[in-house]
Amino acid sequence: MSEHYGIRVGEMVPDFKIETYEPSKGDFGAISLTELKAAKKWTVLFFYPADFTFV
Amino acid sequence: MSTDTKFVHLAWQRDEKMLEKVKYIMGSDPNARLSKMFGVYDKEAGLDLRGTFIISPEGKLMNSEVNYFNLGRNVEEILRKVRANIHLNAHQNEGCPAKWQKEGDKTLQPSAKMVGRVFYALE
Repeated sequence: MSEHYGIRVGEMVPDFKIETYEPSKGDFGAISLTELKAAKKWTVLFFYPADFTFV
Repeated sequence: MSTDTKFVHLAWQRDEKMLEKVKYIMGSDPNARLSKMFGVYDKEAGLDLRGTFIISPEGKLMNSEVNYFNLGRNVEEILRKVRANIHLNAHQNEGCPAKWQKEGDKTLQPSAKMVGRVFYALE
């Protein structure tokens, strides 16, 4: 069973902030939706089960 | 995005040769707060499903696609959707048909004339 909070297409996404690893810098960081919006960027969120998996 | 920590992201990206050229930012969501927000956290497995979400610069969710654990995604199709979204955000009275691939390809502008004549509009 997946947990459904479930934002639907067409709705505004609430702000979020996540910790990151940035391969191009070889360093850790953080990013928020507020920052991405301020930079006028399109965002693709790409969820996957776990690192070191296969598909 | 996964529920792995940023430390595991680093280790995976450094060790797996297939990820040598990765430039995208790897997000860490260890308490599944974000994957729950998007409805892709599988409680029994304790893992995220393969969900893809495209968010506009205004913060609106424009696309959502979720695959089960064992089915990979077609990155070309995701990029096509991003290109189409960028085009449609600037031309909101148009529609991108299924076979639209890139800027310059034919779009549709719904009108009375086109009803029942989409075949000819795409010619």
